[in-house]
Amino acid sequence: MSSMSLRPCGDYRTSYAKDTTIFPTKWSRNFAILGLILAALFPLIASQYHMNLAITIAIYGIAALGLNILVGFTGQISLGHAAFFGFGAFSSAFLNNTYDVPVVLAIPLAGLMTTAVGLIVGIPAARIKGLYLAIATLASQFILQDFFSRADFFTGGSAGALAQSFSLFGWEAYGEHNFYYVALVFMVICFLLATNMLRSRDGRAFVAVRDHYLSAEVMGVNLTKYRLMSFGVSSFYAGIAGALYGHYLGFVSVESFTILLSIQFLGMIIIGGLGSVMGTLMGTAFMVLLPEVLEGVVSAMNGAGLIGASFMTNVAFLKEAAIGLVIVLFLIFEPDGLAHRWRQIKAYWKLYPFSY
Amino acid sequence: MSRKTLTGAFAAILVAGTASAAIAADDIKIGNLVDYTGATSTVSKPFSEGKIDAFNWINAHGGINGKQINADTVDYSYQAPRAIAAYKRWVSEFGAVAIAGWGTADTEALVGFLAKDEMPYYSGSYSAHLTDPTGKSGVVKAPAPYNFFYNVSYSDALRGMLQWAAEDWKKQGKEGKPKYVHMGDNHPYPNAARKAGEEYAKELGFDVLPAIQYSLAPADFKAQCLTLKESGANYAYLGNTAGSNISLLKSCETVGVEAQFMANIWGFDESAAEAAGSAADGVVWVVGSATWQDDAPGMKLVHEIAGGDGYRPVHYVRGVCTAFYMKEAMEWADKNGGVTGPNIKQGMYQKTDWVPAGLEGVCFPSTWTPEDHRGTIDMYVYQGEVKDGKFAMNRLAETRIDRRPEWLGW
Repeated sequence: MSSMSLRPCGDYRTSYAKDTTIFPTKWSRNFAILGLILAALFPLIASQYHMNLAITIAIYGIAALGLNILVGFTGQISLGHAAFFGFGAFSSAFLNNTYDVPVVLAIPLAGLMTTAVGLIVGIPAARIKGLYLAIATLASQFILQDFFSRADFFTGGSAGALAQSFSLFGWEAYGEHNFYYVALVFMVICFLLATNMLRSRDGRAFVAVRDHYLSAEVMGVNLTKYRLMSFGVSSFYAGIAGALYGHYLGFVSVESFTILLSIQFLGMIIIGGLGSVMGTLMGTAFMVLLPEVLEGVVSAMNGAGLIGASFMTNVAFLKEAAIGLVIVLFLIFEPDGLAHRWRQIKAYWKLYPFSY
Repeated sequence: MSRKTLTGAFAAILVAGTASAAIAADDIKIGNLVDYTGATSTVSKPFSEGKIDAFNWINAHGGINGKQINADTVDYSYQAPRAIAAYKRWVSEFGAVAIAGWGTADTEALVGFLAKDEMPYYSGSYSAHLTDPTGKSGVVKAPAPYNFFYNVSYSDALRGMLQWAAEDWKKQGKEGKPKYVHMGDNHPYPNAARKAGEEYAKELGFDVLPAIQYSLAPADFKAQCLTLKESGANYAYLGNTAGSNISLLKSCETVGVEAQFMANIWGFDESAAEAAGSAADGVVWVVGSATWQDDAPGMKLVHEIAGGDGYRPVHYVRGVCTAFYMKEAMEWADKNGGVTGPNIKQGMYQKTDWVPAGLEGVCFPSTWTPEDHRGTIDMYVYQGEVKDGKFAMNRLAETRIDRRPEWLGW
């Protein structure tokens, strides 16, 4: 029980509105605001490298959130998320390069274009599920990837496309310290939108479809509509994230959106916690930071003369193996994801010094 | 393991991870991007070992005018986001003045950042559109003022091989027009040279057939080989990397393809030949420097750099060349206002037909100018020969192509 609610004793909810509030307690709201302020102040102390990691987390976090809505909340599966992510990147660059749409508008428009593609790909989802759906989305990954390398007019073909930097009223978000705020604003908006949607009628329908589609249908939930909608929403998030990624790097290439990235997105939401908005961000941070931390460990050992140059070249794969190992250990010891662990930590302090 | 121990271990890893290596006072910091564990590791490994051995040798022999090179090597597993993260760390925390880079996707993604940060970048990607520093050619999407590489570009290498093929056709005294076909995945890397090759083949009098696609990931390519056989192509360019090319050569041997294969610089080497076995017989490819057994004056130094323990593949020698061009540019910069990005870039423009001291006969004479970053337009064309199960490399020609202005950037 302790992990379910952290409201103080006697704090009863007397209306549906109170029951579906985003922040269950005053403190959780205050902490969220404090977190935002700290995040906004982060560039003051952080180097370009740290900013790059933070931006990557924000961008991947948006995309992973989209996937979590699809997988964690609606119970569908997608192995083609990276392709939607890429479609968003190319769409935004295309709108900006060809029609001179300002980047600030091109990003949401790219999200809408990706939604349209997601809806088309999602059509089979209305009829099939489980492994069959996984394979159908896998096919979309390859179809889109091939499309990227052939559609010269849209993507620049295999040579890729340039993407202008984000600018607003003459302020250009070039460089990490500026672009961070763009990514942060988009991330906060996207996360708020998702949280809001999930407590709405549609959001509850998603969960009903996931938990028991037959019961949901008996209750009057339109399965086809919600499965499709979930695909649309998920693609919208992927599109927005992809567009941000493109404008951050300044260059979009088909090479960046492989099946490997799709699987990484799945890894992020599984590690973070399926069906948890906050867990998505935690999982993303974990997946982005883990290789960097391990790289740091290896180079620190190298710098300290603990390992020789030949070790560096011959046993470098150990680092990659360690990344895999950590993920496997995580799934064994923390199958419910980081979000679950965080709830337990909160419960621990809430109940301290008594464990029950 | 208790929760406390786990937390403690994780904290320790974090601390160790963020603590950077001890920094010497008067050294020159450079970033070194390598792929030991990713898709291109088979070729990145010998190339990177060449670079690292060369940096170590330079340090042991006086460094850069007495200053030691501090090369921070990062294995990024051929994942562009990780290369970008490494780059940001080199710029902001490490204080690198130049970078020895690697792959296609990451080099392309960094072009804009490099120009803005004024960071010279010596890539292992030889894509021709990295050779236009001003963007005046009109064919590149963005100018690449801070991108350098030692080698002929992919496009120029293919032009050189086509030049050889045209002569080979004449020498064989065959009738009619030879047929040429481009093969490779529909990907930036194999496609980098496609148009350039097809245009030049037409100019040389080849009949250009529709390109044949085969994946970068090794697989069974008999279907493609049958298409190739039916097309009656005489010369086929292999645009993929070695792993994929080995599978293709084997499949085509089974099917009985007669065409003359021509592989790109990363598409074939000694280990590929070993894996391909008898299918490697007759394959022609480009080599961008002298090879291990060559009797060139500079090879003595390469052997010394390698520590003398056994054979090194062709990519290793090119890694050494790359490191030595960096070295001499940094030496010039050190004497002319300090080792900074813009000065190193200027250092690259100081000489014409430039061969690093001690490497005579190893690296091709190269010239970089502020308008043209095609360092060299020379290459060796080699052919593989398999006799009694043993592989031998035979130099067929030393080819030089024109430095045509309209070829800049593509």
